[in-house]
Amino acid sequence: MHKKKLTRTLAPLAAIIAVMLIYMAPMAFSQEDMVVVPTSDFNAPERPAAMFKHDAHNELAGLEDCVVCHHGKTDAGLIDLENSSDGESCSSCHPVKPENGATPLMRAYHLQCTTCHADALKGPVACGECHKK
Amino acid sequence: MHELYNFVSGPLAWVAGAFFVLGSIYRLVSMYILAKRKDGSSLEYMSLHYSLRSIIRWLIPFSTMGWKADPLMTVTTFAFHICFIAVAVFLSGHVVVWNTAFGFDMWSLPTQAGDIISFVVIAACAIFALRRFMLPHVKNVTKPKDWFALTLVVLPFLTGVLAYHQMGPSLLMTTLHILSGELLLALIPFTRLSHALFTVFTRAYMGSEFGAVRHTRDW
Amino acid sequence: MSHISDRIISDPGLELGVANLTTERIEEVVNQALKGETGAKLKAYQETCMRCGLCAQGCHFYVSHDGDPSYSPVSKATESIYELMEKKGRVSPKRIYEMAQIAYTECNLCKRCAHYCPVGIDTGYSMLVMRRICHLLGVVPQYILDTGNSHATTMNQMWVKDDEWIDTLQWQEDEARDEFSNIRIPLDKEGADIYYSVIAPEPKFRTQLIYQAAAIFHEAGVDWTMPSTPGWDNSDMSMYIGDFENMGRLKRSHYESAQKLRVKRIVMGECGHAYRSVYDMGNRWLGYRDMPIPVIHSVEYFWELLTEGKIKIPKKFEHPVTIHDPCNIIRGMGLMDKLRDVTHMICENVVEMTPNREHNYCCSAGGGVINCGPPFRGTRVKGNKAKADQLRNTGVSHVVCPCHNCHGGLEDIIDHYELGMHPKFLGDIIYEIMEKTDAL
Repeated sequence: MHKKKLTRTLAPLAAIIAVMLIYMAPMAFSQEDMVVVPTSDFNAPERPAAMFKHDAHNELAGLEDCVVCHHGKTDAGLIDLENSSDGESCSSCHPVKPENGATPLMRAYHLQCTTCHADALKGPVACGECHKK
Repeated sequence: MHELYNFVSGPLAWVAGAFFVLGSIYRLVSMYILAKRKDGSSLEYMSLHYSLRSIIRWLIPFSTMGWKADPLMTVTTFAFHICFIAVAVFLSGHVVVWNTAFGFDMWSLPTQAGDIISFVVIAACAIFALRRFMLPHVKNVTKPKDWFALTLVVLPFLTGVLAYHQMGPSLLMTTLHILSGELLLALIPFTRLSHALFTVFTRAYMGSEFGAVRHTRDW
Repeated sequence: MSHISDRIISDPGLELGVANLTTERIEEVVNQALKGETGAKLKAYQETCMRCGLCAQGCHFYVSHDGDPSYSPVSKATESIYELMEKKGRVSPKRIYEMAQIAYTECNLCKRCAHYCPVGIDTGYSMLVMRRICHLLGVVPQYILDTGNSHATTMNQMWVKDDEWIDTLQWQEDEARDEFSNIRIPLDKEGADIYYSVIAPEPKFRTQLIYQAAAIFHEAGVDWTMPSTPGWDNSDMSMYIGDFENMGRLKRSHYESAQKLRVKRIVMGECGHAYRSVYDMGNRWLGYRDMPIPVIHSVEYFWELLTEGKIKIPKKFEHPVTIHDPCNIIRGMGLMDKLRDVTHMICENVVEMTPNREHNYCCSAGGGVINCGPPFRGTRVKGNKAKADQLRNTGVSHVVCPCHNCHGGLEDIIDHYELGMHPKFLGDIIYEIMEKTDAL
């Protein structure tokens, strides 16, 4: 009796969630609809994800060249601004806890955004400006 | 605003740090030289054993006459000092700053806990202030210097809480927060807050004097 | 809440001293003293003190005046030495009077507040620096100044002349011969085991204490001596005046008179401040890390005599007693256990007061306050209601009190608060009840 009732309630709920997931899946991967910096690699992030609308940002910032953000890596292990890493996820080179001395993901994110904003005198730099509640 | 933020979070942070580090070294070294020159008859009795005995004893709440005299003060001052250090060093937001600026990767307080103990520090400052207003034996000896020191301490916490809870313009609040933190850091060696530098020595000396000369305890 | 200016007491020493001051003179002397004689210690104290007020509870003056904040240690330091430091000596002569009255009569330098200060500030030291400056300014309460003058002139506190000293000892020896046929008070005996030193008030008006000591040493078969020349007085009001130069002279003559006789050690009578002057202040002034010759207090010596069985107690003192812990030998020298051992060895019924041992309240006579004389009797008696309450709560009839100053202080407190008790030196009780094998 109870079991039946439970299934009856849960089934539609599951369906709705499934539809939502299917609907939202592309959003996570397509930059067009990106609204926050990807945080799926972080285990229990402490702050809300940083607001980031990819296309709007680039339009506003006048960024056309992907490599400015999606930099590559030189043989010496430094930032390579010639070869773009566009298409690869940041965490493929910047794991959350790197063992090879690479810059960890959080630090890479923070440096990537705030350094550029500070230099450009534009865009959010303080914690609460990106990690909005 | 960005220029100000860049200045405050960049060069000014180094200046404040330098004031703190060099200022502290200057104060400690000049105090030591002065002690060497003028307080030989006291320095002579310094003893590591009795210094530690005294310092450790006074680090235990309610284990000394002083800590038994005013329980509210005892709880407040312990909570204040522990939370102050914890927030200054281990608050997750601060750990991110250490991480971004210096690449340190260190343990941080859970964000919620950090928030709570920041409020603890503010509450403790409020109690300190109330004591200065309401208790005759404290009010009687409170000078502008004491208020100044208390203000210096509470400001970074007030602005920090506002910035964290995103009340008011985020960039402005964060800038004010960093600014007040730098002011605090830079002025530690030159205000009443210099007790942070000297207490370990005054305590150690009292411990030594009571242990090595007076053969009794200083608590 | 009161202020020192509301309770100025007329004293010729302070008045005359202040009348001779100008603001320029004050500024010059204060800065000279601060710069020349103080260092990191005082500076760190003034700076590190957070004005938290925890020390207040430590002070019997504060407690006795129902929490009048002007009596808290931090307030007394703030209103005197700290103010001089902050204003770089630019204060009026009138203010110096107030500072002198605080430093000489409202602080016993007992250092009880040290147990209350979390950051380790020694207010007793700061107040002594204040007294030092007052001394350099020539602003010292008349009575204690007189004892200082006596010290400087005669090397003893009570204007006892050299022949009077010897005469007094011989008189006491004479008296004692009525009780013990062959008793001696050996003068200048070279190489004796102990050199017994007393404070000048003993030959002056408490000669029975010398008699009793002689009787005890005689009974115990001690190889002892007393010097016939200056140096015999171990007391030291110069220390409490802030006249450290003379303190040094006194201590040197005390140590050296014993060294000349090549005695093994000095035993000093039941006095507190004299001990402080020997183990804490005088030795340092003279550059000795420790005492140049072993010096022990009567409490320790009685402990030895009793535990070694040299003195036998056939029947203990029956009246209930409490123990008053003199600051200078307890908080100052840690003799609380020996004092208790001795008291329990000679007394049947011991009732402790609270707080006791190193936390005991001062008698309020110490630190030279009683030596400031009659004008300030009220200051110390009213300033020690705490002690009266402590004593009353024990419900005993006698108070064991191995210190002269405490004795005087307790007598006045007992009298003022009508407690009906009797302070006793250990020597009083031991002499009264010990086995006198040789008595006639």
